[in-house]
Amino acid sequence: MFAAIDLPTVLPPQASEFARQYDLLFYYITAVCVFGGGVVYALLTYCCFRFAKKEGVAPQRILGSTKLELIWTIVPLIFFLTFFVWGARLFDVAINPPQEAKDNEFFVFGKQWMWKVQHPTGERENNAMHIPVNRAMKVTGTSEDVIHDFGIPAFRSKFDVVPGRYTSAWYYPTKEGTYHLFCDQYCGQGHSQMVGKVHVLSQSDYADFLAGTYRRQNPDGSFPHPVDGSASWRGRKLFFKLNCISCHNKESSARAPSLEGIAGQERAVRDDAGKTINIKASDEYIALSIRVPTKHVRDGWKPIMPAFSTRQVGEQELRDLILYIKSLKPGDLPSRNEYTPAPVGGSVDADSLSQQQNPNPIPMPPQPKKEGGTK
Amino acid sequence: MAVDEVPIPKLDYTPQTIPEPEPTPEQARTRRNYLNHTTSVLSWLLTVDHKRIGLMYLVAVTVFFLFGGIAAGLVRVNLVSPHGAILELDQYNKAFTAHGTIMLFLFLIPVIPGVLGNFFVPMMIGAKDMAFPKLNLASFYVWAIGASFFLWQLIVGGLDPGWTLYPPYSTKYSHTNVLYAGLGIFITGFSSILTGLNIIATVHKMRCPGMSWGRMPLFIWAMYATSVIQLLATPVLAVTVTMAAVEKVFGVGIFDPTIGGDPILFQHMFWFYSHPAVYIMILPGMGVINEVLTCFSRKNIFGYQAVAWSSVGIALVGFLVWGHHMFLAGQGYYLGMVFAFLTMLVAVPSAIKVFNWTATLYGGSISFPAPMIHAIGFIVLFTIGGLTGLYLGTMGTDIHLHDTYFVIAHFHFTMVGGMMFAWQAGLHFWWPKMTGKMYSDFWSRLAAIVMITGFALTFLPQFVAGFQGMPRRYPNYPPEFQVYNILSTAGATIQGFGYLMPVFYLTASLFFGRAAGNNPWKATGLEWQVPSPPDAHNFKDIPEVYFGPYEYGVPDGLRLVADGHLGKKAVHANGAHTGAGVTNGS
Repeated sequence: MFAAIDLPTVLPPQASEFARQYDLLFYYITAVCVFGGGVVYALLTYCCFRFAKKEGVAPQRILGSTKLELIWTIVPLIFFLTFFVWGARLFDVAINPPQEAKDNEFFVFGKQWMWKVQHPTGERENNAMHIPVNRAMKVTGTSEDVIHDFGIPAFRSKFDVVPGRYTSAWYYPTKEGTYHLFCDQYCGQGHSQMVGKVHVLSQSDYADFLAGTYRRQNPDGSFPHPVDGSASWRGRKLFFKLNCISCHNKESSARAPSLEGIAGQERAVRDDAGKTINIKASDEYIALSIRVPTKHVRDGWKPIMPAFSTRQVGEQELRDLILYIKSLKPGDLPSRNEYTPAPVGGSVDADSLSQQQNPNPIPMPPQPKKEGGTK
Repeated sequence: MAVDEVPIPKLDYTPQTIPEPEPTPEQARTRRNYLNHTTSVLSWLLTVDHKRIGLMYLVAVTVFFLFGGIAAGLVRVNLVSPHGAILELDQYNKAFTAHGTIMLFLFLIPVIPGVLGNFFVPMMIGAKDMAFPKLNLASFYVWAIGASFFLWQLIVGGLDPGWTLYPPYSTKYSHTNVLYAGLGIFITGFSSILTGLNIIATVHKMRCPGMSWGRMPLFIWAMYATSVIQLLATPVLAVTVTMAAVEKVFGVGIFDPTIGGDPILFQHMFWFYSHPAVYIMILPGMGVINEVLTCFSRKNIFGYQAVAWSSVGIALVGFLVWGHHMFLAGQGYYLGMVFAFLTMLVAVPSAIKVFNWTATLYGGSISFPAPMIHAIGFIVLFTIGGLTGLYLGTMGTDIHLHDTYFVIAHFHFTMVGGMMFAWQAGLHFWWPKMTGKMYSDFWSRLAAIVMITGFALTFLPQFVAGFQGMPRRYPNYPPEFQVYNILSTAGATIQGFGYLMPVFYLTASLFFGRAAGNNPWKATGLEWQVPSPPDAHNFKDIPEVYFGPYEYGVPDGLRLVADGHLGKKAVHANGAHTGAGVTNGS
């Protein structure tokens, strides 16, 4: 019967190699403290009951004991020094990344009030960080305005992001999942809005993510945009630039078929001879549909799509478009007027806390005040 | 005092000096004391009597505690909901900043030195006033001016950078009244310095005959150590605030990285003051606990020397640990190691004190009126506060806990669980002496228990939330932390009732309380050997001290005997001890 009750977990998720090492030390200190505190509490309780005031019992005159003083000076000191030594070693681990981590360097920019993350290969995302599991990585950060702090509780990692300095941390994620990303250093009005998610992906999902084709559905049914700087992200921009969106969109079903979820599916089309055939939506099929739209027309639609020659869409751009179209999942096609830039400080990745649960709008950051001395 | 005027009392404890006789009811009615020997408003506002100044501080800090408490209440109510229950984001930031700045600069720092220090340091060392009575008054008014800047800043729109005031946020990006607050800090800092100076001079120069360093009550040792810190650390805060102002006004790059400054420098300077400042806050509280524990357990303090020197040790080493607030701020690894090591050293004197207090209870005859319940509560809660500090002083474990609710809980366990309960213990202990009236035993004990329960419920869940990673200063938070915040707010509500109760029953005691008598707790200290409330000049004659401060544990009483000139010697009734043998706990 107790299984139904959803008790809050007392221990935070342990998702990196450092978190495991960290928790060992944490539990060691906890054990010592519980023991030491327990001794004090036991003595206190004993004394309070045993020596409560009684008629006719006089208090004793005890002035102290050098031996006891030495014991309770030296014994705690020894334990404290074990904390210090172990803690210093752990800190050393935390701040000295191995070579593999240095070769896989992410960069974060803190600004009021968002995190911008840049992958080693140049892809960018906001308020989210997708990283591969079982691969060491380093994160270096700086701030554009005030001091922030890049903290991931599941990794037991945190470092201040300071304007004018490059500070860093490193992780070895060991467990796939989605974890909190917090700004831990107070940075103004939107401090609690400066949060995001860390997604630890399998190695193959991460490769897809970098291509822009890894699209995990958000809890609200929407899909995150392809990561900035990926091929699919460029394809999405072209999709808007070439006005594909004016017919292939969420609202309109009058002029063009939906493109959601077509990759690899069999589709009924009429070829230029007017015969209906089934054809698999391969890369080549999509490319042909853009270059020569009248070649195969989806059954039930008019051949009204303009052709796009190599002058309008180069082969590289075509490839980006194909990747984007292939990544579209059901319900994923943007609406016609969706192409608005992310709000300043807003999350592009709707997976972050600020969009998901927070009804409060993210405030616009105020302009920095005038520099001192200038009038 | 001549020997033949004073009947030698038969006491089951040994006061440090010969008690004055209890006034007859007739004398009690007509007696002039420091409260009523003059009655005009000006005689209060321009008084140089340390006791009246102490009462003025009492009224002022109580008002500020109320303000700080209201701000804390707003914060806690807002956190009931993950989206913020009642406040906008910037309102929340102003509320927690108001809570932090008011409680620290206008309550915790002045409360015990200002009220109990002013009132009882001269009395406990047998002096008629502070060394510099006029400076003492000036110090109060300087503090009041500084505090009024804080009030002004609250009225004109509040302050939002948090009490730590880290640049560049505070200097460049905050649109609130940082300048007023800075002035307030600057000016109240001067008051702190002047008070410290006064207490140091008083302790050095004003001790009565026989009051050697080894016979001083431990409250005096604690106040002395506190004053040394105030004198040495506070100027650094003033310098820091001045540097920030210079940067702002003249555009000199000191803290702002865009014009060549370094924001970490501010943190170093800020914590160089603010870490010793937490010892400014807690040491007087520890001093109070010594007085209360010994009195209600009827025992000598266990290890007088250890407790006294641990205060001094904390004061000295406390200057060298400021960097443990900055392990993650980008300071070097080896620098961090030095600070972490010294932090472990400074933890030891606090541990020594806790063990000594516990050992003091051993073999006692313990009664539990309100001050004692607060003092026991202090030990219980401060132990948790001290032990959780070890997690934060250890470099490795600080990484994850830094700037989370774990820090909040730790800090409140030392500052509220420690200092606030010590203040309540001291206030309830000395209230009969300050006012001459005794408060309700039932209500005061109930209030103590309500406060301790509410406090534990408020802050224990925050350790868990902090370990799970909930960051501090978040008006909105992920919903999985809600359960801890609801528990916390429930506890804070109970605590709020607890803190309101003394306002009522202490005020009621002024009008309806029974007369307390000279020495309701049968305490040994000099302040208890004179009538309550004391005369305007404390002592009719300067007392002479014959014993150490805590001679409670004498089986059938020591009798002071006149041996030629009075009291140069005391003998035990059965001849076991001479006066010289029981001077102190060394």
